Amino acid sequence: MEKIKTLLVILLLGMVTAANAQQKFTISGHVRDKASGEELIGASILVKELPGTGASANEYGFYSITLPAGTYTFSSSYVGYAEIIQTIKLDKNQSIDWKLEFGTTLDEVTVSATKEDDNLSRTTMGTEKLDIKEISKVPVLFGEKDVLKTLQLLPGIKSAGEGNSGFFVRGGAADQNLILLDEAPVYNASHLLGFFSTFNSDAIKDATIIKGNSPAQYGGRLASVLDVKMKDGNDQNYNVSGGIGLISSRLSVEGPIQKEKSSFLISGRRTYADVFLQASEDFKGNSLYFYDLNAKANYRLDDKNRIFLSGYFGRDKLGFGDNFGIDWGNQTATLRWNHILNPKLFSNTSFIYSKYNYDLKVSSGGSAFNIDSEIKDWNLKQEFQLFSNTRNSWRFGFNSIHHTITPSRFETSNNDDNTSQISRYGWENALFVNNTYTASPKLSIDYGLRLSAYTILGGDTYNIYDRGIKTDSVVLAKGDFGKTYAYLEPRLSASYRINPQSSIKGGYARNTQNLHLLSNSTSANPTDQWIGNSYNIKPEVSDQFSLGYFRNFGNNKFEFSVEAYYKSMQNQVDYKDAADINTSPDVESELLYGIGRAYGLELFLKKKVGKFSGWLSYTFSRTERQIEGINNGDWYAAKQDRTHDVSLVGIYQANPRWSFSAAFVYNTGNAVTFPSGKYNVDGNTTYYYTERNGYRMPAYHRLDLSATYERQRKGRFQSSWNFGLYNAYGRENAYTITFEDDPDDASRTRALRTALFKWVPSVTYNFKF
Amino acid sequence: MRNVALFFIFMVLFSACEQEIEIDLNSADPQIVIEGEITNQKGPYTVRISKTVNFSASNQYPPVTAAVVTLSDDLGFSEKLAETAPGVYTTANLQGQEGRTYTLKVESAGKTYTAICKMPNRVEFKGIKAEEIAFGFSTDTLYSATPLFDDPIASGNNYRFIQYRNGERDKSITVFNDNVNNGKANERPILSQEFEIKRGDTLVIEMRCIDKPIYDYFFTLSQSAGQGPGGGTTPANPPNNITGNVLGYFSAHTIQRQTIVVR
Repeated sequence: MEKIKTLLVILLLGMVTAANAQQKFTISGHVRDKASGEELIGASILVKELPGTGASANEYGFYSITLPAGTYTFSSSYVGYAEIIQTIKLDKNQSIDWKLEFGTTLDEVTVSATKEDDNLSRTTMGTEKLDIKEISKVPVLFGEKDVLKTLQLLPGIKSAGEGNSGFFVRGGAADQNLILLDEAPVYNASHLLGFFSTFNSDAIKDATIIKGNSPAQYGGRLASVLDVKMKDGNDQNYNVSGGIGLISSRLSVEGPIQKEKSSFLISGRRTYADVFLQASEDFKGNSLYFYDLNAKANYRLDDKNRIFLSGYFGRDKLGFGDNFGIDWGNQTATLRWNHILNPKLFSNTSFIYSKYNYDLKVSSGGSAFNIDSEIKDWNLKQEFQLFSNTRNSWRFGFNSIHHTITPSRFETSNNDDNTSQISRYGWENALFVNNTYTASPKLSIDYGLRLSAYTILGGDTYNIYDRGIKTDSVVLAKGDFGKTYAYLEPRLSASYRINPQSSIKGGYARNTQNLHLLSNSTSANPTDQWIGNSYNIKPEVSDQFSLGYFRNFGNNKFEFSVEAYYKSMQNQVDYKDAADINTSPDVESELLYGIGRAYGLELFLKKKVGKFSGWLSYTFSRTERQIEGINNGDWYAAKQDRTHDVSLVGIYQANPRWSFSAAFVYNTGNAVTFPSGKYNVDGNTTYYYTERNGYRMPAYHRLDLSATYERQRKGRFQSSWNFGLYNAYGRENAYTITFEDDPDDASRTRALRTALFKWVPSVTYNFKF
Repeated sequence: MRNVALFFIFMVLFSACEQEIEIDLNSADPQIVIEGEITNQKGPYTVRISKTVNFSASNQYPPVTAAVVTLSDDLGFSEKLAETAPGVYTTANLQGQEGRTYTLKVESAGKTYTAICKMPNRVEFKGIKAEEIAFGFSTDTLYSATPLFDDPIASGNNYRFIQYRNGERDKSITVFNDNVNNGKANERPILSQEFEIKRGDTLVIEMRCIDKPIYDYFFTLSQSAGQGPGGGTTPANPPNNITGNVLGYFSAHTIQRQTIVVR
């Protein structure tokens, strides 16, 4: 710890002194929405006299620009908001807050012309920021607007299955996505077996996904970072908003505690399919529902200090009478302290708790058994942002996480001794530094380094296996430190502006992953369990190279991009054939390890503004694994491997009242294992397999439609109706394909396709006052 | 109104539709399948040898005839089996015994396949407990059966259970081991999804004490058969105890049966 401190101080001093050469002053402050007081993440502050000079507001709405003394014209703007221009004489450090007003109709919106081509000059690659307002217009299953399902319509991000909120990024598995809600990792982001995500979009301000080339402040997963930020709560007025749907309802309340000083937000959601279930005699006593609650409060101590407290609590319950029940859910809590040390140096300290667990119970008469598992984190993150001059900004800090992982264990009611669950402990640490450097108006470079380490902590015995056979074991007493895995992760991305309309970008990033999700099915199951590194399981490592070409057309109305990537992965984990995942005394005896590779090409064309907006995306990708002991040690397609994906989204604002949208998706089938022959064992037809994942599911396609009607505003009261139709032409897409004896003809076998949804209509009434 | 809403919810949540489809599956070279058994019951014991066929073919499996099949025990007794029907090889004298280790040798088309299996000691099968279950949405009262036995203190016991309802065999595969509840009285019921047991049924359960490789074999088969949401476990050929890269298994096991009428 002492070393870390010393290092930080040296780093800090170096950067501050290097920047202090001539008479310069700093303008800094926050950019906020005028009506709600919400910080506008990514809003830009530009200096008119110095084209290309400016800053973006960070994730807390803070910006800082240091310029030589003089008088400048600053403009502050954000997509959808009216621009503010102000002339400021900079002869001392200035603290200026900007309050932007949201455009009331589309025609009135003035968007700062200079920032429309921001997508070209940013160094970030493979990054998509979702506009929460846009999400509400994209049609989705059950009419429940959803961050995760909208993400799946973007290139390089694939849905894990019909109606599923699980997703795969650039060939990565579902567990290789770091999903953060106000910085707290969410270990299982799905409700109701994946048909809903844990993110209640009423409570969300901003969602950004980074497909592998993340800056150094992020780490811990191979494939992507999905950074979701909750709203802070309106600090001007009280607001109530909600929605009533066929399956679920939502309600949010937000408002100031002390005007312009503190505010709160509480947002809840519950499905009520089970209320109807109770009405019928046959289903009495059964349950099937989820609920979740987001809550946040913040308090400005003074101009320099602000505290945020946010939390999430969600739970799913599924039960058949007293005999069978499973419940699962996430809990997160984040306490943050924003501190402005000086106009150039911004600090954020976060103390984070996060937990996921499930509990499955089966009872019959006097006997009962249950399977449960839990992962729990205590997490401390310190990050500094230094805006040293107009060409350099730095981020540096550390992150320390204590994990408690209780693996799945099958227990019965008459079990009172040795097989009780033993938790395992891990300590994950990271140090990071990242510099964004504008080398010239044409070239900008973002580079950084992350040092990550994972230490196995004592309290359990760790067995060592060689292909499932125990060869040795390590006994670690409580308080002992076991093996430490450490990796240096370099990150680099650069953007070069070829001409005003186009740029090329390139990047390399190494990521490591210390937690692994053991899952034997493609979709997100609540019973999938997390496991940390051990003496067998080593950190997963990925190296991703990417290259992209970005071009804007038609006065920046159209954005086009093409990105290609190649990723190699080490220490990938998979179950061996015949793995016993529930009752085996040590699940590590059921695992095998190997390498992976993924590559692909992503095309994206987007129209951002106008009456008609939308996008077209295409992804070509391959992802393969090679694991000794699986598929004879040959390369095989990973279960998330899917070659072609197309999505087309169109949103049409017919008039101020009506808007219509449509989304069409087409993809070729996922890799799957089908039999190549059959034989008879013990009187049953049994299937013969020649290759793992050697077949493909049939192609999938679907069209969803949605229409929104905004009702006449009555004073403060606004409301709208949303009508949706999922799978409009009733395509029976294969959810599973099973093989069985034909019940009508014992001499033959048949393939049976199960399709989940044909047409799913939805109606939702939304209101706000 | 309530009924309409209920109907709607169920349309949405549970309206999975199933349809038979054509899938172009590769053809594979026919593989040899050996299925051999020896038990503590009176013989004769049989070894069946057949070949795989393509998925689209009819369920007729070509027998492998004229193989040389021998069964021997760890006391030096060895017997060559007679082919009593095409592909079916039968013992004449051998009597299986608990605790003995048996070796099966098959020679066919110039190749030799060998399997070794130990017949475990019998764990006493004491009876059956039938209990009501409230699983699923059936309107009938359904029952599950729990086999009653006391697992021995030493770990490593493996069991297979086969249910018969009024003489009809349950096709699903049920295997237990003592990873959980070692040395305890069994409380785990046999959970078979498509085998409904109702009041008045006569239920026969056969309990087999099996060797570990046989447990692994049938456990894998049972996992591949179960298709959970999104496809379930990736299916694979079960690992077996026969050398020479063939399908099937050779099992030496004990057999005990219990019967109850469900009340």
